[in-house]
Amino acid sequence: MNEAIVQIHSITKQYKGSQQPAISDLSLQIPSGSVYGLLGPNGAGKSTLVMMLCGLMNPDTGSISLLGMNVQENGNTIRKRIGVAPQDIALFPTLTAFENLFYFGKMYGLETTRIRKKINEYLEIFGLADKAHQRVHTFSGGMKRRLNLIAAILHDPTLLILDEPTAGVDVQSRNIVLEFLLTLKTKNITLLYSSHFLEEAEKICTQIAIIDEGKLVAEGVPGVLIGEHQDCTTLESLFLKLTGKQIRD
Amino acid sequence: MKVLATIKKEAILMIRDPGGLALIFLMPLGLVIVMALIQDAPFRDYQETKLEVVFVDNDKDSLGKKIQIAILQSPNIQFVNESDSNKARSVVRSGKYKAAILIPPGASESLRKKNKQLIARIFSNLGYPAPAVDSTEWPPINIQVLFDPAIKVNYKQALAGGVEKVIANVQSEWIVDQLQNQLSGNTSPKGKMKVDFTKVMHVQQQYASKNKNENMVLNSVQHNVPAWTMFAMFFILFPLAGNFIKEREEGSMLRLRLISGTQFPVMAGKFLFYFGVCLLQFMLMIIVGILIMPLLGLQQLVLGNNIAGMLLTAASVAMAATGYGLLIAVFFRTPQQALSFGSISVVILAALGGVWVPVYVMPEILQSISRFSPLNWGLESFNNLFLRDASTLAILPDVLKLIAFALITLTVSIFIHKSRTIS
Repeated sequence: MNEAIVQIHSITKQYKGSQQPAISDLSLQIPSGSVYGLLGPNGAGKSTLVMMLCGLMNPDTGSISLLGMNVQENGNTIRKRIGVAPQDIALFPTLTAFENLFYFGKMYGLETTRIRKKINEYLEIFGLADKAHQRVHTFSGGMKRRLNLIAAILHDPTLLILDEPTAGVDVQSRNIVLEFLLTLKTKNITLLYSSHFLEEAEKICTQIAIIDEGKLVAEGVPGVLIGEHQDCTTLESLFLKLTGKQIRD
Repeated sequence: MKVLATIKKEAILMIRDPGGLALIFLMPLGLVIVMALIQDAPFRDYQETKLEVVFVDNDKDSLGKKIQIAILQSPNIQFVNESDSNKARSVVRSGKYKAAILIPPGASESLRKKNKQLIARIFSNLGYPAPAVDSTEWPPINIQVLFDPAIKVNYKQALAGGVEKVIANVQSEWIVDQLQNQLSGNTSPKGKMKVDFTKVMHVQQQYASKNKNENMVLNSVQHNVPAWTMFAMFFILFPLAGNFIKEREEGSMLRLRLISGTQFPVMAGKFLFYFGVCLLQFMLMIIVGILIMPLLGLQQLVLGNNIAGMLLTAASVAMAATGYGLLIAVFFRTPQQALSFGSISVVILAALGGVWVPVYVMPEILQSISRFSPLNWGLESFNNLFLRDASTLAILPDVLKLIAFALITLTVSIFIHKSRTIS
């Protein structure tokens, strides 16, 4: 097994005014080069965990280590080496696709020629080359989602955190995204993939963690985990067995 | 480079926002022109309007004529002659005229006789031979100055003071004349001297300014152009806070937070961009003051001689306005909160700062509070430059206050923004 790129040690986080902790005594290790699926129903604590991994939120107790560095102490250094595609589209709607990416490239500290090269390369891969100079507010949901992902990978991160990267996109867009993510896997880039789409997770993840109510419910290789439960044949049936069938809001 | 990229991004966002552009450039333009036009009449009323005074000369002798001649020399008073005292009272009471001066019949004669009695009494007291004079006790000469109740107090005081001054001069002249008559034994000597007391002592009035435009006074344009330009500059908080909070709500701010080392460049880029916009606003308003105002029948804006001082003041006001806008942007969480508080606070700061009405007409307590308004510091500095031809050293205290205000608001903004980056 590869060395862990992310080490989470017994973290707890409780929001002010909340009765229950969002994350409760959670420990995880994410191997370098893996596609790690972070799965859980609504309100399980996935987004809270992602925020803490990015250093934008501190745990109440416990510690998180990324790339061998404590996140709380080395947030800036760590953020240079991670890319994040947040669940909500994080783009300037009145700028064009090219202008958005160019600005974020500059903010990553990249050289102009490198930014242009990367933008052209990724717009081509994600089928947005002919839309480069269109304003983002004219884009469809799928186009925005793809652009949102490009903005997270311009600086060639070592760890890519994806929060619902295919939410609200059509089958074609989803296919482009997933194919691209699989190419990243070959480049030894670690992917932390948070999603509701269990079929997708089963397809691309080398390891998964299922969390519910802030606690780790199961962790391991998808096939092995399914095999451990005789009545489960898919990741979805395993997920429902472990987290229950009641609706979560 | 990150700062430059942010400035470029902000510029593109602004160019693509016609509403924002109108708010930044057209709104102040309209505001400056409209306010200058509206306030032109009150400023002229205060400084230039002629006061029409009904003059009833029932004396028809020297005193009445001298009062008329002397007061007519005042550029702000215009006499309308009337022979009927009752009619004069009626037109003033109705407000058609603001004042009336009523010289009673026999006023000159009465004054002459009173003077004669006075001189005879002085001679007699000093042991000199004094001629026999009519010992009748003449009643006081009752010159009436009637005022419309709606007249401004300063006009009232000026007119009453003017009449009293003329009477005092006439009386002095006539006393000297009577004295000469007395000393010469009332024989109308050839060498009798005519004394004009107005030439004995002259009060020279001029503005204590070294400005080449010595007659420059605070008029509607001189007040409104810098005042409303500063008001507009402080309204930069609208696009600044609006865009900032929109970026926070749309998520692009989250991405910037996820990119290492972007907090300072983002804030600095926004600050520098909006600082530049404020300076552009200032230049535009100055051009309007110089070129457009005269076309509208208003006075031309006079800048004074200290252009470097003017640019320094404009830059410090721009810094203060941008710093304040940034503070509002980071402090409030919703556009409604930010824009409501921001606009109301700017209106209050402007009112206290003397943008609406000059500070010197405010009650004392407001005058004390106005010293804490950054708009007051800016306005004082511009008035010092434009009207008093102040040196850069003279405006430095106000400029430093504005820069300190900008630095404090900027520092607090960065602190709040950073503290909210990590929760």
